[in-house]
Amino acid sequence: MAAPLSAAKALPLLAYARISILCTTSGNRALHLTPGCCKNQAARIRVGKGDRPLTYEQAYHPHDIAHYKGWLSQHTSNLQGEEGAAERTVEDVFIRRFIFGTFHGCQANELVIKRRGNMLIVCALMLQKLPPQKFYFLIGYSESLLSHFYKCPVKLEIQTLQDKAVYKYL
Amino acid sequence: MAAPMAYRRAVCSLARIFVGITKLGTKGLSACGGHRDCRITRSHVPLRWSTSFHTGAVFSSPSSIRVTDEPDTLFQKVSVLVKGHDRAVLDSYEFFATMAAKELGITLDKVFEPPKYIERLTLLKSVHIFKKHMVQYEMRTHYRCIELSRLTGSTAQVYLEYIQRNLPEGVAMEVSKIAMEKVPEHILEPLWKNQPTDRTGQ
Repeated sequence: MAAPLSAAKALPLLAYARISILCTTSGNRALHLTPGCCKNQAARIRVGKGDRPLTYEQAYHPHDIAHYKGWLSQHTSNLQGEEGAAERTVEDVFIRRFIFGTFHGCQANELVIKRRGNMLIVCALMLQKLPPQKFYFLIGYSESLLSHFYKCPVKLEIQTLQDKAVYKYL
Repeated sequence: MAAPMAYRRAVCSLARIFVGITKLGTKGLSACGGHRDCRITRSHVPLRWSTSFHTGAVFSSPSSIRVTDEPDTLFQKVSVLVKGHDRAVLDSYEFFATMAAKELGITLDKVFEPPKYIERLTLLKSVHIFKKHMVQYEMRTHYRCIELSRLTGSTAQVYLEYIQRNLPEGVAMEVSKIAMEKVPEHILEPLWKNQPTDRTGQ
């Protein structure tokens, strides 16, 4: 008996809501306020018209790390009993901005930064926008500059592509 | 004389396994039990970096083998604990380490996986207010333990150096060693054995 009652009640409400939406002059519109932070928006690209190309890295969300995605920055300081996480993070951020600016417009995907012992290895995917001689020069320049900044051997391992590798369109 | 022979054999078998070595001398790890003054060999790793297009394995002067008359340290147990975020990486590293130990003829005591440790953080989602909306992060640390038993100091040195050179990025290692020492002579025999026979009942 409850169901038909609620149905009977719902109909006039719906009718009322429709009427209130149609007539803009009446001030009886229900307004639902939400604080602006309910939805997660970290590293997420929302669904759009279907013309925006996404790489594999951009297509999967942060909760898919260790399931569909790997880690972009590999070091031991986030393990149990290890220190230095903040310093490594700051170094990583600097390196990403540095490489983005040095190889301007050529970066195809996010950098992968690995630390093996003393060494910093930066693996990058680049587009073939510059002639190889300029690439060689920029690689040597960034390697020597970064190794002087961080006082450790820095190796840049670069692979070039014709175009960005598109995983899907959103 | 057994120790240098074993060391030479170990280095020869390592040369079979090694693909390429960057130029460096023997980087010795302190293999001492603590009490005896073993020779700690430590040589500085020269910084050498080059662009990825020009790197190549360069064989410089071969690592020198030090022959001494001192008896080698003996380890009852060497326990290697590796930690990482990715279980698959630790699986493959364990396969590599156990294979290397078998090739060098080291007895594997046990290889097991201690339970993982998850550190969870619950933080506020917004910069200002909105206490009801929080975000949770977690950091998982997986472990793998490889225990080797009854090694000599030089074997342990060589094995650990090989293992550590090939440690993958994002994996940390802790090594603990239990050394065996000769019982000091003054406590070999109990005191009361050589006591004079006249003992008053006290």
